[in-house]
Amino acid sequence: MSSSEAEEKAPVVQEPAGEGAPVETAQAEDHRKTGVSDEVVVEFDHVTKTYTLYKSDKGRLLGVFGIQRPGSYLGTVNANNDLSFTIRRGEAVAFLGRNGAGKSTALKMITGVAHPTKGQVSVGGRVSALLELTAGFDMKLTGRENIGLRGQIMGLTNEEIAELEPKVVEFADLGLYIDQPMRTYSSGMKARLGFGFAVGTDPEILVVDEALSVGDRAFRDKCVKRIREIMMDENVTVLFVSHSSSTVKEFCSRGIVLDHGTQVFDGPIEEAIEFYERNY
Amino acid sequence: MLSTLSEILRDNWEWRHQIVRLSIFELVKKSRGAVLSWGWFFIKPAMYIFCFWFALEMGLRQGAASASGAPYILWLCAGIIPWFFMQDMINTGTDVLHRYPYLVNKIKFPISSISAIYTTATMLVQLMLMVVLFAIYFLCGQPLDIYLLQVPVLLVLMFVFWDMVSIAFSELSAVSKDVANLIQALSTPVFWLSGVIFSVSNIHVGWIQAVLNINPVTFFVSAFRAAFYDKMWIWENPGLCIGFAAVFVITAVFMVFVYKRLNKEVPDVL
Repeated sequence: MSSSEAEEKAPVVQEPAGEGAPVETAQAEDHRKTGVSDEVVVEFDHVTKTYTLYKSDKGRLLGVFGIQRPGSYLGTVNANNDLSFTIRRGEAVAFLGRNGAGKSTALKMITGVAHPTKGQVSVGGRVSALLELTAGFDMKLTGRENIGLRGQIMGLTNEEIAELEPKVVEFADLGLYIDQPMRTYSSGMKARLGFGFAVGTDPEILVVDEALSVGDRAFRDKCVKRIREIMMDENVTVLFVSHSSSTVKEFCSRGIVLDHGTQVFDGPIEEAIEFYERNY
Repeated sequence: MLSTLSEILRDNWEWRHQIVRLSIFELVKKSRGAVLSWGWFFIKPAMYIFCFWFALEMGLRQGAASASGAPYILWLCAGIIPWFFMQDMINTGTDVLHRYPYLVNKIKFPISSISAIYTTATMLVQLMLMVVLFAIYFLCGQPLDIYLLQVPVLLVLMFVFWDMVSIAFSELSAVSKDVANLIQALSTPVFWLSGVIFSVSNIHVGWIQAVLNINPVTFFVSAFRAAFYDKMWIWENPGLCIGFAAVFVITAVFMVFVYKRLNKEVPDVL
């Protein structure tokens, strides 16, 4: 009951923000220009990520021991090909490109869950990733325990977790479900908890990968508002992947267009979107 | 080679707080939702021990008192309790990456430390069972003597050895289902072809004894029995020690080799 009430109320609360959006966007743009510092937080230095493909797991296993049998080894795919760029503190950068262009691979390497095959990825600062909102949780544990678990993996102290927990619980707004095992959650509920956690940890670099495409309108508005807050109040870097041009335009000042793992455009967001829409 | 080894050690040392806390979560998860919760950590082993005791002492009449007069049940427990740890490590510890997929490719976490989480959790259960073993030991009227000093050393050795096994085989299991199935199929022969329920020294065929002594399970079981039952030092059986030392070194080299080849690839394929 309580959660459905909250959902009904939420749009009412959000609407003024929605109407005032153009004004706020303008403010955000102003903020962006001054907020960017010279400090480099993410640097890609000729980064290539190669996936080795085998016909079956058996071929891959033999490959470990240096046996490449013809027929089982299919070849390699460069998900990222010689990428080089730097992102400075406070920037908001969008990665544009079709499916399979290597956007998510690049973000994964920034997050540290994938390793470059060649080149160097350097990241300075605490990364909070919204790679797949519903993933990264232990389904057997409750929502509250998962907050503790993720906090501990990040190396937070017990006091920091105690401080973080109410923030996440409030944002996720799951009602009684916060103390239920996560396997009983709907995908929307998992997404809310995932987003709540990612934005609750005071990230220095926020990686958002298609995250805003899940959840209902009220939740989406809430997320957009929170991301805007993070960008306004805190001097954080935001990296964004989305197929929605309007969302990208709203948040980002710079766009990088990828095509088959190669960087084909890097510049102001309006030009990047234009380039992307013209060519793809 | 050495740099890879030091990388594994450094990762595990830097993440040690997270490893300990996550291993406690692992135990919480296991006991979750059960009325007897933590009791199950004892009930299952107790059933196991009872069955073996019944089959061997009552059924097969294999039991015989040792020179020190300690009862057969102590001999049995001193072997079977360490086996519970090794059984968990063989069955689950060799495929931990499928157990924690979110630590592999959703959150930044060193892959070798995932094995350490499971090994630590299993070791915590083992320590609880060790307390029970000591209780049985003293109830049998055995003395507190210097041979028991081998026990903590053996526990540390058991942790290190099976953690290495877990790192190597988990990464291979993540790549290939064949490895996971193979190891699980090997679990049964590893148990029966070790000294857990019979004494290897009773087999008077030299080469069979030599083969059984290569089995690391035989080493650990014999070593715990040396401390609790036979009242001797493990190095009084040099063949066993040399066999285990060789297996230990081979496992370490194998782990480093697999880690070097697969560590960066595993998040991409899991």
